[in-house]
Amino acid sequence: MSKTALVVDDSPTMRQMVTFTLTSAGFTVVEAENGKDAVNKISGVPKMDLVVTDLNMPEMDGIALIKELRKLATFKFTPILMLTTESAVETKLEGKEAGATGWIVKPFNPEVLMKVIAKVLPS
Amino acid sequence: MSSDIPGGEGTTTDQYDRLQEHQQAWEEFGACAVQMIPVLKAQMAAVTEETERSAMELLVHLRLLASLGPNASEDDRGASLSKIVIAMQFQDITRQKLEHVGQALDQWSIQLHKLMRGAGETGTKRRISVLERIKQNYTMEEERRLHAATISPDYQEPVPIDIEEPEAEQDRGSVTLF
Repeated sequence: MSKTALVVDDSPTMRQMVTFTLTSAGFTVVEAENGKDAVNKISGVPKMDLVVTDLNMPEMDGIALIKELRKLATFKFTPILMLTTESAVETKLEGKEAGATGWIVKPFNPEVLMKVIAKVLPS
Repeated sequence: MSSDIPGGEGTTTDQYDRLQEHQQAWEEFGACAVQMIPVLKAQMAAVTEETERSAMELLVHLRLLASLGPNASEDDRGASLSKIVIAMQFQDITRQKLEHVGQALDQWSIQLHKLMRGAGETGTKRRISVLERIKQNYTMEEERRLHAATISPDYQEPVPIDIEEPEAEQDRGSVTLF
């Protein structure tokens, strides 16, 4: 059974590129255009193996999304990667405190993304 | 003094104070505009540069992909595709940069409307720093550095710091694992 990933980004092109990278590696992907959309889309979904989210999005940003996800028992230990153009150390720390597993600065290299995913996914 | 002075009611002294305050607010706004217009132009020039560079990179990688023969390995094709995916992300980066320029112009427009409404309206607001608000819009270090470099000729690049050193095989500086 393939692993499932939630990809959250307000940019349709970025979503497509992350989805392309993940589906090429065998993932089944659920896409959402912001944090609020993501929360709606996962309601009723038993479990996701991975979340890749942008930071700056309308309605609900990436940090708020991580905080919401970490409240759910099914997402308590799910690896959550922040994929964003923001690289300020203080914002990274904010992400860490919210419960992010890792932080990748855009533009991302698909090969590096897959290496990071391999590292954070439970074997 | 005529009654069409912005907020023009009360004694002549009051009217003079309001007029002076109004003039100061306009001068402050003007000084900020003189400083910020080159910053916005620099941000837009950076977008054009990024677009041209990425388009050229895409072209190179697409030619390379097209030149790969039927016997090319999966690794070679994968490497070419990775480079295309990296180059294509210019759209997301340039979109954000242009959004930040747009947000800065929106903030200026709001400030300008307040000033045009008169001294009474601007009196308490004129200390709001448009400059600081523009900086708050940025989400990329590249934008912050360009902003600082444009307004300060003595600007020096900061020494990079990171929470955790990325591993050697990872893209140096772009990955942080907590």
